[in-house]
Amino acid sequence: TEPSTTTEKKSEGDIRTVFDDPENFNVKHPLMNTWTLWFTKPPSGKGDNWNELLKEVISFDSVEEFWGIYSRQNNITPTSDLALKSDYHLFKRGVRPEWEDSQNKHGGKWAFQFKDKKAINIDALWLHVMLAAIGENLEDEDDNEVMGVVVNVRRGFYRIGLWTRTVGKSLPGEAGKGRTAEQGKETLMKIGRRFKAALQLKENEMVEFSGHTDAAHAGSTRAKAKLTA
Amino acid sequence: ETNKPVEPAQPTAGMQALRSARFLQVRSELVNYPDGFKSPNPALNQSSKSRGRTYDKDFLLQFQEVFKEKPSVDWDMKLKETVGDSTDSARPQSAR
Repeated sequence: TEPSTTTEKKSEGDIRTVFDDPENFNVKHPLMNTWTLWFTKPPSGKGDNWNELLKEVISFDSVEEFWGIYSRQNNITPTSDLALKSDYHLFKRGVRPEWEDSQNKHGGKWAFQFKDKKAINIDALWLHVMLAAIGENLEDEDDNEVMGVVVNVRRGFYRIGLWTRTVGKSLPGEAGKGRTAEQGKETLMKIGRRFKAALQLKENEMVEFSGHTDAAHAGSTRAKAKLTA
Repeated sequence: ETNKPVEPAQPTAGMQALRSARFLQVRSELVNYPDGFKSPNPALNQSSKSRGRTYDKDFLLQFQEVFKEKPSVDWDMKLKETVGDSTDSARPQSAR
Protein backbone atom coordinates (compact mmCIF):
# COMPACT_ATOMS: atom_id res chain seq x y z
CA THR A 1 0.00 0.00 0.00
CA GLU A 2 1.11 3.50 -0.65
CA PRO A 3 1.61 6.12 2.03
CA SER A 4 -0.96 8.85 1.76
CA THR A 5 0.60 12.26 1.92
CA THR A 6 -1.89 15.00 2.41
CA THR A 7 0.60 17.76 2.88
CA GLU A 8 2.22 17.60 -0.52
CA LYS A 9 0.71 19.95 -3.04
CA LYS A 10 0.22 18.58 -6.48
CA SER A 11 3.23 19.20 -8.58
CA GLU A 12 1.31 18.67 -11.79
CA GLY A 13 -1.19 21.41 -11.11
CA ASP A 14 -2.77 21.05 -14.49
CA ILE A 15 -3.85 17.44 -14.08
CA ARG A 16 -7.44 17.22 -12.89
CA THR A 17 -9.05 13.80 -12.80
CA VAL A 18 -12.72 13.07 -12.49
CA PHE A 19 -12.08 12.46 -8.78
CA ASP A 20 -10.91 16.04 -8.38
CA ASP A 21 -13.78 17.55 -10.30
CA PRO A 22 -16.39 15.48 -12.15
CA GLU A 23 -17.57 18.53 -14.06
CA ASN A 24 -14.26 20.04 -15.01
CA PHE A 25 -11.66 17.29 -15.32
CA ASN A 26 -9.04 17.55 -18.02
CA VAL A 27 -7.60 14.04 -18.18
CA LYS A 28 -9.36 10.72 -18.64
CA HIS A 29 -8.08 7.17 -18.20
CA PRO A 30 -7.43 5.43 -21.51
CA LEU A 31 -8.37 1.82 -22.11
CA MET A 32 -5.99 -0.48 -23.96
CA ASN A 33 -8.70 -1.19 -26.51
CA THR A 34 -11.79 0.50 -27.84
CA TRP A 35 -14.82 -1.60 -26.87
CA THR A 36 -18.21 -1.84 -28.51
CA LEU A 37 -21.37 -2.77 -26.65
CA TRP A 38 -23.92 -4.79 -28.63
CA PHE A 39 -27.40 -5.94 -27.72
CA THR A 40 -29.38 -8.88 -29.06
CA LYS A 41 -33.11 -8.29 -28.95
CA PRO A 42 -35.28 -11.31 -28.27
CA PRO A 43 -36.86 -12.60 -31.47
CA SER A 44 -40.49 -11.62 -31.89
CA GLY A 45 -41.32 -15.03 -33.34
CA LYS A 46 -42.25 -13.53 -36.70
CA GLY A 47 -39.22 -14.59 -38.67
CA ASP A 48 -36.92 -11.78 -37.65
CA ASN A 49 -33.70 -11.20 -39.48
CA TRP A 50 -30.81 -11.82 -37.10
CA ASN A 51 -29.15 -8.66 -38.36
CA GLU A 52 -32.07 -6.65 -37.14
CA LEU A 53 -31.92 -8.25 -33.74
CA LEU A 54 -28.21 -7.61 -33.17
CA LYS A 55 -27.66 -3.89 -32.56
CA GLU A 56 -24.56 -1.89 -31.91
CA VAL A 57 -25.19 0.37 -28.92
CA ILE A 58 -22.02 2.40 -28.36
CA SER A 59 -18.21 2.31 -28.48
CA PHE A 60 -15.91 3.77 -25.83
CA ASP A 61 -12.22 3.98 -25.05
CA SER A 62 -11.94 5.48 -21.57
CA VAL A 63 -12.78 4.35 -18.05
CA GLU A 64 -14.90 7.44 -17.55
CA GLU A 65 -17.03 6.74 -20.62
CA PHE A 66 -17.63 3.18 -19.48
CA TRP A 67 -19.08 4.44 -16.21
CA GLY A 68 -21.15 7.04 -18.00
CA ILE A 69 -22.83 4.12 -19.74
CA TYR A 70 -23.01 1.78 -16.77
CA SER A 71 -23.58 4.04 -13.80
CA ARG A 72 -26.71 2.84 -12.07
CA GLN A 73 -28.76 5.88 -12.90
CA ASN A 74 -27.99 6.02 -16.59
CA ASN A 75 -30.80 3.86 -17.71
CA ILE A 76 -29.06 1.07 -19.45
CA THR A 77 -31.34 -1.84 -18.71
CA PRO A 78 -29.70 -4.14 -16.15
CA THR A 79 -29.25 -7.73 -17.27
CA SER A 80 -31.67 -8.85 -14.55
CA ASP A 81 -34.42 -6.78 -16.21
CA LEU A 82 -33.87 -8.05 -19.76
CA ALA A 83 -36.42 -10.25 -21.51
CA LEU A 84 -35.56 -13.91 -22.12
CA LYS A 85 -33.37 -14.52 -25.17
CA SER A 86 -31.61 -11.15 -24.83
CA ASP A 87 -27.82 -10.84 -24.85
CA TYR A 88 -25.34 -8.11 -24.10
CA HIS A 89 -22.00 -8.42 -25.89
CA LEU A 90 -18.94 -6.31 -25.11
CA PHE A 91 -16.41 -6.84 -27.90
CA LYS A 92 -13.28 -5.18 -29.13
CA ARG A 93 -14.11 -2.66 -31.82
CA GLY A 94 -14.23 -4.14 -35.29
CA VAL A 95 -15.26 -7.62 -34.18
CA ARG A 96 -18.89 -8.57 -34.65
CA PRO A 97 -20.07 -10.84 -31.84
CA GLU A 98 -20.85 -13.68 -34.24
CA TRP A 99 -19.13 -16.96 -35.08
CA GLU A 100 -19.09 -15.96 -38.72
CA ASP A 101 -16.93 -12.89 -38.20
CA SER A 102 -13.56 -13.54 -39.84
CA GLN A 103 -11.82 -12.88 -36.53
CA ASN A 104 -14.00 -15.36 -34.63
CA LYS A 105 -14.32 -18.23 -37.03
CA HIS A 106 -11.23 -20.06 -35.77
CA GLY A 107 -12.03 -19.27 -32.17
CA GLY A 108 -14.00 -20.53 -29.24
CA LYS A 109 -15.35 -19.52 -25.90
CA TRP A 110 -15.04 -20.08 -22.20
CA ALA A 111 -18.46 -20.13 -20.59
CA PHE A 112 -20.33 -20.78 -17.38
CA GLN A 113 -24.05 -21.31 -16.91
CA PHE A 114 -25.69 -20.04 -13.75
CA LYS A 115 -28.64 -22.38 -13.44
CA ASP A 116 -30.10 -21.00 -10.26
CA LYS A 117 -30.97 -17.53 -11.50
CA LYS A 118 -32.34 -16.35 -8.18
CA ALA A 119 -29.26 -17.39 -6.22
CA ILE A 120 -26.88 -15.01 -7.97
CA ASN A 121 -26.56 -11.30 -8.68
CA ILE A 122 -26.17 -11.40 -12.45
CA ASP A 123 -25.78 -7.63 -12.68
CA ALA A 124 -22.75 -7.66 -10.37
CA LEU A 125 -21.24 -10.70 -12.11
CA TRP A 126 -21.61 -9.17 -15.57
CA LEU A 127 -20.17 -5.89 -14.32
CA HIS A 128 -17.13 -7.65 -12.87
CA VAL A 129 -16.53 -9.55 -16.08
CA MET A 130 -16.78 -6.34 -18.11
CA LEU A 131 -14.32 -4.64 -15.74
CA ALA A 132 -11.89 -7.54 -16.10
CA ALA A 133 -12.17 -7.20 -19.88
CA ILE A 134 -11.74 -3.44 -20.21
CA GLY A 135 -9.10 -3.36 -17.45
CA GLU A 136 -7.19 -6.03 -19.41
CA ASN A 137 -7.04 -8.50 -16.54
CA LEU A 138 -8.11 -11.53 -18.59
CA GLU A 139 -5.03 -11.89 -20.78
CA ASP A 140 -1.46 -10.66 -20.97
CA GLU A 141 -0.53 -8.06 -23.51
CA ASP A 142 0.91 -10.40 -26.11
CA ASP A 143 -1.77 -13.06 -25.89
CA ASN A 144 -4.06 -11.46 -28.44
CA GLU A 145 -6.83 -13.92 -27.62
CA VAL A 146 -9.72 -12.08 -25.96
CA MET A 147 -12.34 -10.93 -28.46
CA GLY A 148 -15.11 -10.06 -26.07
CA VAL A 149 -17.49 -11.12 -23.33
CA VAL A 150 -21.18 -11.90 -23.48
CA VAL A 151 -24.13 -12.51 -21.17
CA ASN A 152 -27.12 -14.58 -22.35
CA VAL A 153 -30.50 -14.39 -20.62
CA ARG A 154 -32.39 -17.66 -21.06
CA ARG A 155 -35.35 -19.36 -19.48
CA GLY A 156 -33.37 -21.80 -17.38
CA PHE A 157 -30.12 -19.97 -16.85
CA TYR A 158 -27.88 -17.00 -17.28
CA ARG A 159 -24.68 -17.73 -19.15
CA ILE A 160 -21.55 -15.59 -19.24
CA GLY A 161 -18.99 -16.28 -21.95
CA LEU A 162 -15.56 -15.07 -23.02
CA TRP A 163 -14.72 -15.42 -26.70
CA THR A 164 -11.19 -16.17 -27.82
CA ARG A 165 -9.52 -15.74 -31.19
CA THR A 166 -8.23 -19.31 -31.37
CA VAL A 167 -8.85 -22.73 -29.91
CA GLY A 168 -5.17 -22.99 -29.05
CA LYS A 169 -3.84 -23.66 -32.53
CA SER A 170 -1.84 -21.07 -34.37
CA LEU A 171 -3.86 -19.60 -37.19
CA PRO A 172 -3.21 -19.81 -40.92
CA GLY A 173 -1.72 -16.63 -42.27
CA GLU A 174 -0.53 -15.34 -38.93
CA ALA A 175 3.11 -16.06 -39.32
CA GLY A 176 5.26 -15.08 -36.40
CA LYS A 177 2.51 -15.69 -33.90
CA GLY A 178 3.91 -19.22 -33.77
CA ARG A 179 2.76 -20.69 -30.50
CA THR A 180 3.15 -24.41 -30.14
CA ALA A 181 -0.02 -26.36 -29.45
CA GLU A 182 1.16 -26.73 -25.87
CA GLN A 183 1.71 -22.97 -25.45
CA GLY A 184 -1.57 -22.21 -27.14
CA LYS A 185 -3.43 -24.47 -24.76
CA GLU A 186 -1.61 -23.02 -21.76
CA THR A 187 -2.57 -19.49 -22.84
CA LEU A 188 -6.21 -20.52 -23.10
CA MET A 189 -6.07 -22.23 -19.71
CA LYS A 190 -4.60 -19.13 -18.10
CA ILE A 191 -7.36 -17.01 -19.60
CA GLY A 192 -9.94 -19.55 -18.41
CA ARG A 193 -8.61 -19.39 -14.86
CA ARG A 194 -8.71 -15.58 -14.86
CA PHE A 195 -12.24 -15.65 -16.26
CA LYS A 196 -13.26 -18.04 -13.50
CA ALA A 197 -11.73 -15.71 -10.91
CA ALA A 198 -13.60 -12.72 -12.37
CA LEU A 199 -16.84 -14.70 -12.04
CA GLN A 200 -15.98 -15.46 -8.40
CA LEU A 201 -16.71 -19.15 -8.91
CA LYS A 202 -15.85 -21.82 -6.39
CA GLU A 203 -13.05 -24.23 -7.17
CA ASN A 204 -15.48 -27.01 -8.07
CA GLU A 205 -17.58 -24.81 -10.38
CA MET A 206 -15.95 -25.39 -13.74
CA VAL A 207 -15.87 -23.02 -16.70
CA GLU A 208 -15.87 -24.91 -19.98
CA PHE A 209 -14.20 -24.15 -23.28
CA SER A 210 -15.55 -25.13 -26.68
CA GLY A 211 -14.67 -24.15 -30.24
CA HIS A 212 -17.31 -22.19 -32.16
CA THR A 213 -17.32 -24.63 -35.06
CA ASP A 214 -17.74 -27.58 -32.70
CA ALA A 215 -20.78 -25.84 -31.30
CA ALA A 216 -22.12 -25.12 -34.80
CA HIS A 217 -21.73 -28.71 -35.96
CA ALA A 218 -23.28 -30.07 -32.81
CA GLY A 219 -26.50 -28.30 -33.71
CA SER A 220 -28.85 -28.08 -30.78
CA THR A 221 -27.01 -30.63 -28.69
CA ARG A 222 -24.27 -29.27 -26.50
CA ALA A 223 -20.78 -29.31 -27.83
CA LYS A 224 -18.37 -31.42 -25.89
CA ALA A 225 -16.15 -29.18 -23.84
CA LYS A 226 -12.50 -29.45 -24.75
CA LEU A 227 -11.03 -27.76 -21.73
CA THR A 228 -12.22 -26.98 -18.25
CA ALA A 229 -10.79 -24.65 -15.64
CA GLU B 1 -29.48 12.56 -38.91
CA THR B 2 -33.07 13.51 -38.34
CA ASN B 3 -32.61 14.19 -34.74
CA LYS B 4 -35.32 16.51 -33.43
CA PRO B 5 -35.58 16.75 -29.69
CA VAL B 6 -38.49 18.81 -28.45
CA GLU B 7 -36.15 21.28 -26.87
CA PRO B 8 -32.53 21.34 -27.95
CA ALA B 9 -30.63 19.65 -25.16
CA GLN B 10 -27.32 21.11 -24.08
CA PRO B 11 -24.44 18.86 -23.16
CA THR B 12 -23.75 18.98 -19.45
CA ALA B 13 -20.46 20.21 -18.02
CA GLY B 14 -19.46 16.62 -17.34
CA MET B 15 -20.19 15.57 -20.92
CA GLN B 16 -18.11 18.45 -22.22
CA ALA B 17 -15.27 17.63 -19.84
CA LEU B 18 -15.28 14.04 -21.06
CA ARG B 19 -15.14 15.20 -24.65
CA SER B 20 -12.32 17.68 -24.18
CA ALA B 21 -10.22 15.77 -21.63
CA ARG B 22 -6.99 14.31 -22.93
CA PHE B 23 -5.80 10.80 -22.25
CA LEU B 24 -3.66 10.45 -19.18
CA GLN B 25 -0.26 8.86 -19.79
CA VAL B 26 -0.74 6.26 -17.11
CA ARG B 27 2.86 5.08 -17.03
CA SER B 28 4.66 8.37 -17.15
CA GLU B 29 2.39 10.91 -15.47
CA LEU B 30 2.17 10.63 -11.73
CA VAL B 31 -1.22 11.60 -10.45
CA ASN B 32 -1.94 12.38 -6.84
CA TYR B 33 -5.42 11.04 -6.52
CA PRO B 34 -7.49 12.80 -3.87
CA ASP B 35 -7.53 11.32 -0.39
CA GLY B 36 -9.44 8.11 -0.21
CA PHE B 37 -8.87 7.17 -3.84
CA LYS B 38 -6.40 4.54 -4.89
CA SER B 39 -4.24 4.83 -7.97
CA PRO B 40 -4.25 2.04 -10.53
CA ASN B 41 -2.30 -0.92 -9.20
CA PRO B 42 1.24 0.17 -10.11
CA ALA B 43 2.45 -3.41 -10.53
CA LEU B 44 0.07 -3.85 -13.42
CA ASN B 45 1.54 -1.00 -15.38
CA GLN B 46 5.26 -1.21 -14.66
CA SER B 47 6.30 -4.02 -16.97
CA SER B 48 8.56 -2.71 -19.67
CA LYS B 49 6.26 -3.99 -22.37
CA SER B 50 3.07 -2.67 -20.83
CA ARG B 51 1.46 0.31 -22.48
CA GLY B 52 0.13 1.22 -19.07
CA ARG B 53 -3.54 0.80 -19.59
CA THR B 54 -4.25 -2.05 -17.24
CA TYR B 55 -6.57 -1.42 -14.32
CA ASP B 56 -7.63 -3.61 -11.45
CA LYS B 57 -11.24 -3.96 -10.39
CA ASP B 58 -10.89 -1.96 -7.19
CA PHE B 59 -9.48 1.00 -9.08
CA LEU B 60 -12.25 0.86 -11.69
CA LEU B 61 -15.05 0.54 -9.13
CA GLN B 62 -14.04 3.86 -7.59
CA PHE B 63 -15.48 5.68 -10.59
CA GLN B 64 -18.92 4.18 -10.12
CA GLU B 65 -20.27 6.79 -7.75
CA VAL B 66 -18.15 9.62 -9.17
CA PHE B 67 -18.88 9.80 -12.87
CA LYS B 68 -22.50 9.39 -13.96
CA GLU B 69 -22.79 11.54 -17.05
CA LYS B 70 -24.72 10.07 -19.91
CA PRO B 71 -22.53 9.56 -22.98
CA SER B 72 -24.50 12.13 -25.00
CA VAL B 73 -27.60 14.25 -24.88
CA ASP B 74 -29.41 11.80 -27.14
CA TRP B 75 -28.42 8.77 -25.07
CA ASP B 76 -31.93 7.94 -23.89
CA MET B 77 -33.20 7.93 -27.45
CA LYS B 78 -30.29 5.85 -28.63
CA LEU B 79 -30.91 3.30 -25.91
CA LYS B 80 -34.56 3.11 -26.81
CA GLU B 81 -33.66 2.32 -30.40
CA THR B 82 -31.15 -0.38 -29.53
CA VAL B 83 -31.88 -1.99 -26.18
CA GLY B 84 -35.48 -0.83 -26.00
CA ASP B 85 -36.97 0.74 -22.94
CA SER B 86 -37.63 -1.17 -19.80
CA THR B 87 -41.38 -0.82 -20.19
CA ASP B 88 -41.34 -3.31 -23.08
CA SER B 89 -44.09 -5.83 -22.69
CA ALA B 90 -41.54 -8.59 -23.02
CA ARG B 91 -40.01 -7.52 -19.77
CA PRO B 92 -40.03 -10.36 -17.28
CA GLN B 93 -41.71 -9.90 -13.95
CA SER B 94 -39.20 -8.84 -11.40
CA ALA B 95 -39.95 -9.90 -7.88
CA ARG B 96 -37.55 -7.53 -6.16
